[in-house]
Amino acid sequence: MPAAIKKAFPHAVMLTYVAVILLPFLFVLFSSFKANNVEIATRPFGLPKTWAFENYKEAWVKAKINVYFWNSLYLSLSSAAVGVLLAAAAAFALVRMKFEAVSRWIYQYVLIGMLIPGNVLFIAQYLLVRNMGILNTHWSLFLPYTAGALPLSVLLIAAFMRSIPGELEEAAIVDGLRAPGLFLRIVLPLTVPALVTVFIINFLGNWNEYLLANFFLSKDSLRTLPTGMVGFRDAFQTNYALVCTGIVYSVVPVLVIYTFLQKK
Amino acid sequence: MKNALRNPYVYLMFVLPAIALYFLFFIYPMLMSVYYGFTDWDGLSKPNFIGLDNFIAAFSDPEFRSSILNNIYILLFSCCVQVPIIVVLSLVIAGVRRLQGFYKTTVFMPSILSTSVIGILWGYIYDPDVGLLNNLLKLFGAGPIYWLAEPQWAMFAILITNAWQWVGFYIVLMLAAILAIPKDIDEAAGIDGATGVQRAWHLTVPLIKPVINVVIMLSIAGALRVVDIVLVMTGGGPAGATEVMASYMVNKAIKYGEYGYGTALSIIIFVIALVLTALYQILIARRQERVEY
Repeated sequence: MPAAIKKAFPHAVMLTYVAVILLPFLFVLFSSFKANNVEIATRPFGLPKTWAFENYKEAWVKAKINVYFWNSLYLSLSSAAVGVLLAAAAAFALVRMKFEAVSRWIYQYVLIGMLIPGNVLFIAQYLLVRNMGILNTHWSLFLPYTAGALPLSVLLIAAFMRSIPGELEEAAIVDGLRAPGLFLRIVLPLTVPALVTVFIINFLGNWNEYLLANFFLSKDSLRTLPTGMVGFRDAFQTNYALVCTGIVYSVVPVLVIYTFLQKK
Repeated sequence: MKNALRNPYVYLMFVLPAIALYFLFFIYPMLMSVYYGFTDWDGLSKPNFIGLDNFIAAFSDPEFRSSILNNIYILLFSCCVQVPIIVVLSLVIAGVRRLQGFYKTTVFMPSILSTSVIGILWGYIYDPDVGLLNNLLKLFGAGPIYWLAEPQWAMFAILITNAWQWVGFYIVLMLAAILAIPKDIDEAAGIDGATGVQRAWHLTVPLIKPVINVVIMLSIAGALRVVDIVLVMTGGGPAGATEVMASYMVNKAIKYGEYGYGTALSIIIFVIALVLTALYQILIARRQERVEY
């Protein structure tokens, strides 16, 4: 086999696979700019004749994607932030404070959560939020999201905190810091890399969550992007361009975050 | 000097919020699931203890049995079709120098998107009138296929979508392991005259067996967890052709209010997941380790 073909073959394989990944996105992107169903049906692969930007305006307001978008954004951000803080505080006490025996038990107890697959708890959590009277409020998602992220977050942050040298703390204690000050001013800043990782994992998990969001909220104005989008598709099923616009709206923010993180 | 780290009240202050929240939304629901699973609770009247009746009913329930079968299809497809593809593509990416970063970024992309959005996107690709697939078929003169409405195609359509979403995630996982292998072994084999394919198959694959095992374990767990994509794309239809255990459980509980039966199903899912993982560990992962010695 000539060397040139040998070198090109892996790229041919990969470019085929990349095409399989990207073609659906391109197809949806082009469709979202097309004026109507007739244009989509008659020229499925072509570029749009005129770029119909009004689809985007229409979807954002008429389909209430703005509402879903902000709901998703503030729920995901707040739950991820609170989850990271709670996990960091717990990890600090478990790893750094001098209660080794108790800490070992608590650590094991938190790790049990990693064994339980999320949707096994679905019905019991549904009944729980119903009994708490928070069904159909954002609390019914905020609390399970935050709690659900704890086992993995504690595991990752505790592992990171163990690697921080103890001399730093001793020096800080000699200087008169108490445990809360130590946590806020010494340990937390040193743990930032782990906190960022955990925050992103939690944020993406919340942003994409569908099952709880679909069944715990029924009011349209409270919906998050994944469930709102499904409702939107069901309502505008025959307006293909508008549905595609909705897909673009929900895909783009995640891709922007992703490319931003890739560069770092 | 260390008194600052020995104050039990401060300790509680740090640990308690996380532990309390975790107990309320994890441990308590788990305990309640086990309790409800043995009752006939319908959400309104008082729950009656009915022993193992729910579990017996579940295994003689033809719809639940067919949903187990669908989970098994997903599991077999991920382990027997996806995993070989993942291994081959990871080896290919690891072997190229140019564009490696681009390939990695692109293949990972689908796995950061919401499953429900992917369901909508692929629902559009599968659309019988304007979808990408039928348009491609039309180029070859083949008639329209109603991908999501015909029982013999619907499960296949879901499998492809699920694979499209997750293959890249596992590729990146495996690629990290391949790239961590010291280069000198590979170079030594190259000097001895081994071809690229030989090196990949006889050197790299044995060295990344632990990661392949992790990927298979994650695929098994993932196959039993599939639910979003089914709810969004087909809702379990047509005629139950794509119903999986989790979607059946959710429907039983929310639509029909059979909470007792639903939680029994969720316990069955949990146990199946534990047993399959344990079996895989004992039968396959362990034995491979022994061979390596």
